[in-house]
Amino acid sequence: MTGVAVPKFIVWLKLLWMFLKVNILSPSGPASIGLLYKEAVSKEVMTEAQFVEAVGFSNVLPGSEALKLAMFVGYAAGGLPGVFTALLGAILPPTVMMLLVAAVLQRFQHSDWIGGFVAGMSPAVAALIVVVAWELFRATSPRGMDRRAVLIAVLSAAAFWFELPSPLVLLGAGFLGVLLYGQRSYG
Amino acid sequence: MPNLLTLFLIFLKVNLLSTSGPASVGLLYHEVVGKFVTEGQFVQAVGFSSVLPGSDALQLAMYIGYAVGGIPGGLVSLLASILPPTIIILGVTMILHRLRREAWISSFVEGLTPAISVLMVFTAWKIFQKGGSEGWEAWAIGLVSMAGMLSKRVPERIVIIIAGLIGVLFLT
Repeated sequence: MTGVAVPKFIVWLKLLWMFLKVNILSPSGPASIGLLYKEAVSKEVMTEAQFVEAVGFSNVLPGSEALKLAMFVGYAAGGLPGVFTALLGAILPPTVMMLLVAAVLQRFQHSDWIGGFVAGMSPAVAALIVVVAWELFRATSPRGMDRRAVLIAVLSAAAFWFELPSPLVLLGAGFLGVLLYGQRSYG
Repeated sequence: MPNLLTLFLIFLKVNLLSTSGPASVGLLYHEVVGKFVTEGQFVQAVGFSSVLPGSDALQLAMYIGYAVGGIPGGLVSLLASILPPTIIILGVTMILHRLRREAWISSFVEGLTPAISVLMVFTAWKIFQKGGSEGWEAWAIGLVSMAGMLSKRVPERIVIIIAGLIGVLFLT
């Protein structure tokens, strides 16, 4: 961004519109990456390399990845105000929709059809979670099965089986990762 | 309002320990089902947040928050989910040059990911078991949905809506 010719609030408005659009059009966080890429790179908000780096960091740091990606793009486009504009654009559409749906659903909570809907949805939701878990697991070891990842998976499966508290297990897995993977560099 | 504070702390914890939206499902399940929401409400929350456009994790958080404490509950969960990534990003963008990818934090996440995947599978199994019907109908819906999602030809939200409608027709 040159930032000289364009008044700042125009940049912010464009950014807000961009994130509103991306978040209304994409069904979920990870799905928004493709759409955001088209918007951010083709409009020269950031370079391809910057975008790839932003995706990398979003995957590595804790918290919702779509939000982190939004903030990186916002920062590249307009510094700190850009971060908050991007955040606002990313949060508004899901907030409004979900609060509406939640309000409606709470009202019908005791109707018969909701019970049927949930009974039908449960197996599909379970399937969705397994599919996402598998994709997540595969994303860690892109070059075939990583023995360390399998080891951590087996150990944590045992821990969950014996009903250890899940935050503890996750923390333990993280520290095991530091021990096993160490200060490895990523060419 | 001790409830709102508890809600806030739960979502802080969940968002600090999970790397992406969908990955938070497993941890969140353990934290809220039974205490704040029923199994059925949780399934609705996961189902509808994948159906509606926008970030799944935020919608999931708001749904649970709303079920616990109305609009204020929804907003508190939203805030707690946004805070950790925001603060981290602000920090990282400031010290981006020092925190390169070989930092220990990426090894930590690399170790975290297999454990999160396993936790999600455990959660999926619990949701499946308590989902109402455990007969062949549920297995059929689950397996067909999984095949549909893995094929990548059918959007996940369409699969979930269809499964729900089948439930209304045959499982009510």
